Amino acid sequence: MITILCPTRGGEPSYPNQDRAAAIAKERKARLIFLYVSDVEFLNRTASPIVVDVAKELDEMGEFLLAMAQERAGKVGVKAEAIVRRGPFREVLQEVIEEFDAGVLILGSSEEGVGVTTRAYLEDLSREISEESGVEVILLHQGEVITTIKA
Amino acid sequence: MEGRNGPRRFRLKRGIYLLAGLFLAGAALVSMVGEARAEGDALQAGEYVITGVLLDPQGQPVEAAGVKAVSEGSDEALAEGESHSDGSWSLALSALPGDGLQIVVERPHFVDWTYALDQEDLQSLERSGAISLGEIELTRKVSAGFWAAAAVFLAVLLLIGFERLHNTTAALAGLSAVFVISYVGGIFNPDWYILNFERALTYINWEVIFLVMAMMIVIAIIERTGVFKWMAFQAYRLSRGHSWLLVLILMLITAVASALLDNFTTMLLMTPISIQIGLALGINPLALIIPEVLASNVGGISTLIGTPTNILIGAYAGIGFSDFLVNQTVGVVLALVVMGAYVLFHYRSEWRKHSGGISEALYSRLEENARMEDPGSLWKAGLVFVLVLVGFVLGERYHIIPAVPALIGATVLMVWLKPDVHAMIQAVDWTTLVFFMALFIVVGAVQEVGMIGMAADWMGRLIGGNLVLAVFVIVFGVGTLSVAIANIPLTASLLPIIEFLSGSIPGANSKVLYYALSMGAAMGGNGLLIGAEANLVTAGITEQADMPISFQEFLKVGLPVTYLTLAVGFLWLLIHF
Repeated sequence: MITILCPTRGGEPSYPNQDRAAAIAKERKARLIFLYVSDVEFLNRTASPIVVDVAKELDEMGEFLLAMAQERAGKVGVKAEAIVRRGPFREVLQEVIEEFDAGVLILGSSEEGVGVTTRAYLEDLSREISEESGVEVILLHQGEVITTIKA
Repeated sequence: MEGRNGPRRFRLKRGIYLLAGLFLAGAALVSMVGEARAEGDALQAGEYVITGVLLDPQGQPVEAAGVKAVSEGSDEALAEGESHSDGSWSLALSALPGDGLQIVVERPHFVDWTYALDQEDLQSLERSGAISLGEIELTRKVSAGFWAAAAVFLAVLLLIGFERLHNTTAALAGLSAVFVISYVGGIFNPDWYILNFERALTYINWEVIFLVMAMMIVIAIIERTGVFKWMAFQAYRLSRGHSWLLVLILMLITAVASALLDNFTTMLLMTPISIQIGLALGINPLALIIPEVLASNVGGISTLIGTPTNILIGAYAGIGFSDFLVNQTVGVVLALVVMGAYVLFHYRSEWRKHSGGISEALYSRLEENARMEDPGSLWKAGLVFVLVLVGFVLGERYHIIPAVPALIGATVLMVWLKPDVHAMIQAVDWTTLVFFMALFIVVGAVQEVGMIGMAADWMGRLIGGNLVLAVFVIVFGVGTLSVAIANIPLTASLLPIIEFLSGSIPGANSKVLYYALSMGAAMGGNGLLIGAEANLVTAGITEQADMPISFQEFLKVGLPVTYLTLAVGFLWLLIHF
């Protein structure tokens, strides 16, 4: 059974992409894994004291967001798994692809002009990942397939 | 590899903390020794004593000026001394020279002052054994050092404002530039001199450093119990799906938490749980989070420890915990009411949305994420925290600075709760303390060369003797500047100006201008996303959940709220004072 890896940050803009990932998993009878990656690098830009374990708080938030994604997948009959990891997105993604021997990677871009997961960034990332690990990358925007890159 | 590097990294970290601690203690010691030495000079006995007080053009005392007595026509000093922090100086002479006596005052950034004692003065001195020259106003000298210090100060503000460097790195770069200019430039041309290391240390406000350090430990212990997350979840339960009610309760929680602890840490904890609650309710979580961060920036105004700017103001002007509470709380509550009304209107479409609830599994997970981490420690930490607050209030009566009860409270918590000492030492953010120390010196440099005094003069002329105009200019001027400029360096540099205005404007000795500064600096932080650290860290967390807060989105709600709350704060100060 092929494994589909779908990194998501779980907010409302991600819902259509999550739904489409579940639909693709159902269609291909694949194993679906939702991945949440937290990165606390943004805290390095602040001068204020960090006295709480922010990474832990983000992990818990990630677990909740993925639980919501799992419920959405469950509504179309797909039993999705969820994993939460910490670190730079690019590096973590590569590690998880290897660890779970993922065959398909589904990436979703957020609203244009807002945030870091823009379409241009994801297109570059898709090509790099596909070349390095040989996975098929499906790029989504608001639930619609924009590009499919096969190694 | 991991196994070998781990302990080495730990030893390195421990070494850094130890060095930082030693630097802190050493600098404090050098500063204290310097003061003790200066006092010792004045205690030397002599047969003939000449005294005086040195003031700058703004009427502020001039400290560390060299004062010497010379016989006319000679450069050899018969007696030497230094002016103290109140500008006073005294010289003791064992005998009077027969050929006349001159008093010479020398101080970098001031024109040398010479006074020849006339026959009448000398006779009076011989008869009574002492003479006072009274208040002596020194004339400022605008030298190359003046412009260099001003350029460094501006560069540091720009580096911080445009985030070209980390705040601490920017302040350290400024501090280093001041020393390079003073020590290297000063060799070639004395006009480049700004200030030396010993003098620089006198500008560091150790009260602020130790209060911030102690409160970091106290906050770390209390925040780790997860009490505010738990309260947020209880608010979710109590609101029974009414998101308009929920946002008001969450604003109240963040405002109170910010007043008692700090707004930055409060938002670190409240943002992730608020995202989950917002999604559970089926509304845009930013409709909860942006009002929370706005409330957190304003809530801190009502206490000494609520904002870093209040800590600076309190230490500088001697404004205590209860002073802030009594003079600011009603204004803050009124500002929060106006803010609440505005955000209810601004996000009105969100309150009509409803998802119909979440599944049992998701509800349980949310409840689990909002649990108190360590309820056993909460009551102990709460008790000690209340005692620290009582210590702040009692300290005002017995002249104990707030840093003392805060340090004692932090120590009691560490002894009683036995938290991991290394974790607690790590909770003390040394970069912030170093930022404060370096910033004090950079601001001290522009104070030393007289730039702050000139700015105070200019503001004094602009405002005249009109107290209402002064409060207006400070509340709205500082509020507008804080929208884009980091409010900590802004406040630190404005304090000497406020001190001058408080002394020169009739009625301003009530310290109303300091409260105006407090309100302007904190409320202005709501204007833009970059206006406060709490805003930026909140945006950083929401980005992690694919809900970035755009510059425009924050501006639409933040800017109107800023000017509405500034207006409320201004009116409150007018009514109250």
